Amino acid sequence: MASNSQAEAVEIYGVKWSKWSAALSRRFDIIVAVILFLAVVSAFHLHFMLLAGDWDFWVDWKDRQFWVTLSPIVAIIFPGALHYVFWDKLRLPIGATFAVVCLIFGEWMNRKFGFHDWSYFPYSLIAPATFIPGAIVLDVALLLTGSMLATALTGAIAFAFLFYPANWAWLAAYHLPVEVMGSLVSVADYIGYAFTRTATPEYLRFIERGTLRTFGGHSAWVASAFSGFICMLMYIVWWYIGAFLGRVVTVPNKLKTMMGLKKDPKPAAVSI
Amino acid sequence: MQIVKNDSIRGFSMLGFLTRYMARLRIVVGLGVLLALSGQVFAHGERNQEPFLRMRTAHFYDMKWSTTAVAVNEDIVVTGKFRLFQDWPGNIPKPERVFLGNGTPGPVLARTESWINGVPAIQSGKLELDRDYEFKTVLKGRIPGRHHVHPMLNVEGAGPLLGPGNWLTVSGKWEDFKLPVTTVDGTKIDNLETYGVAQTIKVHAVWYVIALVYMLWWLRKPLLMTRFAAMEAGNEDLLVTRGDRLWGAAFLVGTLVVVVMWANWAEATYPRTVPLQGGEMLVDPLPLEKNPVKITVVRATYDVPGRSMKMNLSFTNNGDKPVQVGEFMTAGLRFVNHSVPAAMANVHPDFPKDLIPPSGLKVENNAPIAPGETRTMMVEATDAAWEVERLTSLLNDPDNRVGGLLFFFDSEGNRIIANVMGPIVPVFGKS
Repeated sequence: MASNSQAEAVEIYGVKWSKWSAALSRRFDIIVAVILFLAVVSAFHLHFMLLAGDWDFWVDWKDRQFWVTLSPIVAIIFPGALHYVFWDKLRLPIGATFAVVCLIFGEWMNRKFGFHDWSYFPYSLIAPATFIPGAIVLDVALLLTGSMLATALTGAIAFAFLFYPANWAWLAAYHLPVEVMGSLVSVADYIGYAFTRTATPEYLRFIERGTLRTFGGHSAWVASAFSGFICMLMYIVWWYIGAFLGRVVTVPNKLKTMMGLKKDPKPAAVSI
Repeated sequence: MQIVKNDSIRGFSMLGFLTRYMARLRIVVGLGVLLALSGQVFAHGERNQEPFLRMRTAHFYDMKWSTTAVAVNEDIVVTGKFRLFQDWPGNIPKPERVFLGNGTPGPVLARTESWINGVPAIQSGKLELDRDYEFKTVLKGRIPGRHHVHPMLNVEGAGPLLGPGNWLTVSGKWEDFKLPVTTVDGTKIDNLETYGVAQTIKVHAVWYVIALVYMLWWLRKPLLMTRFAAMEAGNEDLLVTRGDRLWGAAFLVGTLVVVVMWANWAEATYPRTVPLQGGEMLVDPLPLEKNPVKITVVRATYDVPGRSMKMNLSFTNNGDKPVQVGEFMTAGLRFVNHSVPAAMANVHPDFPKDLIPPSGLKVENNAPIAPGETRTMMVEATDAAWEVERLTSLLNDPDNRVGGLLFFFDSEGNRIIANVMGPIVPVFGKS
C-alpha cells in the first residue's frame, strides 16, 4: 500500500511529489506552523514588552507623541525579519500579519492572566494596541511589488501611518475630557490614577509635553511621519538580519535529501 | 586513562542513587513541604527599604483612617501630614518631582481623590525639604480581602517612600464594584473599570478575524517544503498567481477603507477629546510652625543585642512655656512617653498597633524643661520593633545617621515638633 502511494506522483507548484511525500509535507506544515506560532508569540511578545513596555501596557501612556513614534518602530522588527524568510524562501506574503497576530495573541494572554486575573488591573487600563492593519498593508505591498526596497518605501511607512487611526477607533473614548478635583484630565488619565500602580507613579510616564505645535497641533501625524521614516530603515535592516539568521540556522540540504529531494547547489541570493 | 567504576559497569543501583543524593532529596522535599504549607504573602517589601530611606526622608504623622473596614464601593478617607526631613540623605535625589501614591498589593482599592495642602494631587509636583504638608486620600473598596495599605510618596530618582501601613478590610463582591464619572461634555460613564472595553475587544476581534482570513488564503495551500522546493526549482511564478495578487489588493483597499471609516466614526462619536495631561502640581508647604526647642545630639548609640536606641540629647527651651518630651517617631515607629498624657492622647485608635512599641519612650529626668533652661537628657527607645522592622540594618548604611521627629507637649497639651538628627554609633554590649 505504502509503496503504491509512494509510486503515485502529484505535481505541486510544478514539482513532482509522491503522494506519500506530499501528505507527509502537509503534516510537516501543520507541526511547523504550530511550533512557529508559539515561538513567535513568546519571542515577539517578550521583545515588545521589553522595548515598548509601559506604552503598550497602560491606557494613560498612549499619547500622541512617544507612543505613536515608538510602537511601530519596535513592532516592525519581527515583520521585517520574517518577511525575508517567508518571501525569499517560500514566496509567502504573510510574514508581517503572522508576526502581529502572534504578538497580539501573546499580549491578550498576558493581559488576561498576568495583569487582570493575577494583579486585578481592569481591562480599560491595560488594553494593548493593534498593528494588524499596518501589517496587512505591509504584506500586500511585498506581494504586489515583490521588492524589499519598494515595500520599505510604501508598506513600512504605511505600517507607521496606519497605527494611530487604526487604534483611535477604540482609544478615542478614553480621551474624553473629565473634571476631577477641579482639574481637567482625560478619562485615560483618571483610569490610570484611580487604579493604582504602586511602582509606576505618574511622573514616570513619558508622554507628550506639548512641543509638536508646528502642524497646527496635530502631534500624532508628525510623530507618525517620523515613525514611518524610521520604520522604513528598520524594515530594511531587519530584512537583512533575517537573511543573515536564515543562512545561519537553516540546514536545507540535509533536510531535503532526507525527503528525497535534490541538494541545493548554493545558498539562495537575497533579492531586492 | 579513564577509570571505570565497577558499579557503573554492573548497572544502575537505585539504592546507591538514593544514598548518594539523600541530602539533596531532603532539601527538595523540605522546600516542597514549606511551599505547600506557606500561606499567601501579604507584605510588599516595606521593611526591605534601607533604614536611611525610612528614617531620614518622609516622616508621616497625625495619620487617621476614617475606617478600616468597608464594603465594595465604600470610601476610606486617609488623612495625615508628612515632613520631608531636613537631613535628607545625600545619596538620593531631592524631592524635585513627587507623586502622592499609596502602596497597595495591586489596585485593590480605587483612588478617587488625593490632595496635598488642598491642591489636587492627580499629578506630580515639587516639594520642599524641612517643610510639612497635609494630605488626604480617598480610597474606594474594590477587591474583597484584607489589604495592607500605606500612604506613599514616590520621589523621582529615589523611589517609593512609605508611610505607616494599616490593614484595611474590604467585604463584598468585586463584580459589584462601580466607579462612575460624568465627562465634561455630559457623557455618563457607569463604571471606569469596564468603560470602553467592549469597543476595544470589538476592534481587536474584527482585525484579528480579518488577519486570519487573509492568512487562511495562503495557509490552505501546501506551504513549507512544497513552496521551498518550487522556489529551488525556479517555479516562483507558480507560487504567486494573479488571483493571489487580486486577493491581496482587495485586502489592501479594504484595510484602508476600514481604518479610515472607523477612525472617522470615532471622531464623529467623540468630537471633543483631549490629549493626556502631563502638567505639574504646584503646592506651597504648610506655614512654618514656631519651634522654640533647640536639640543637639550629644551622642547616639544603638545597642545591637539589646535592641535599644539611646540618644543623649541637649535641649534648650527658648519658648515661654515648660515642655516635656512626649514621643520619638522614626520610620513609622512611634515610641510614646507613657508618662505624658497629651502624648498618649495623640495616638489615634486606628493607628496600627504593631508600629507603637509597648515599652514606649524612656526619658531620663522627665520633668518639664522650663523656659530658658538647657538640659541634657538620655532618651531611650527600646523594643524588638527595631529588629522586626529591619531597622537594625542601619549599621550597613554608608551614612550612619539617625533621624526622626521629637514631639514635645506643654502643660496645655500644645504640641511642638522638632527634628532630631545626628550620627549613631553601634554598640555590642554595654554602651
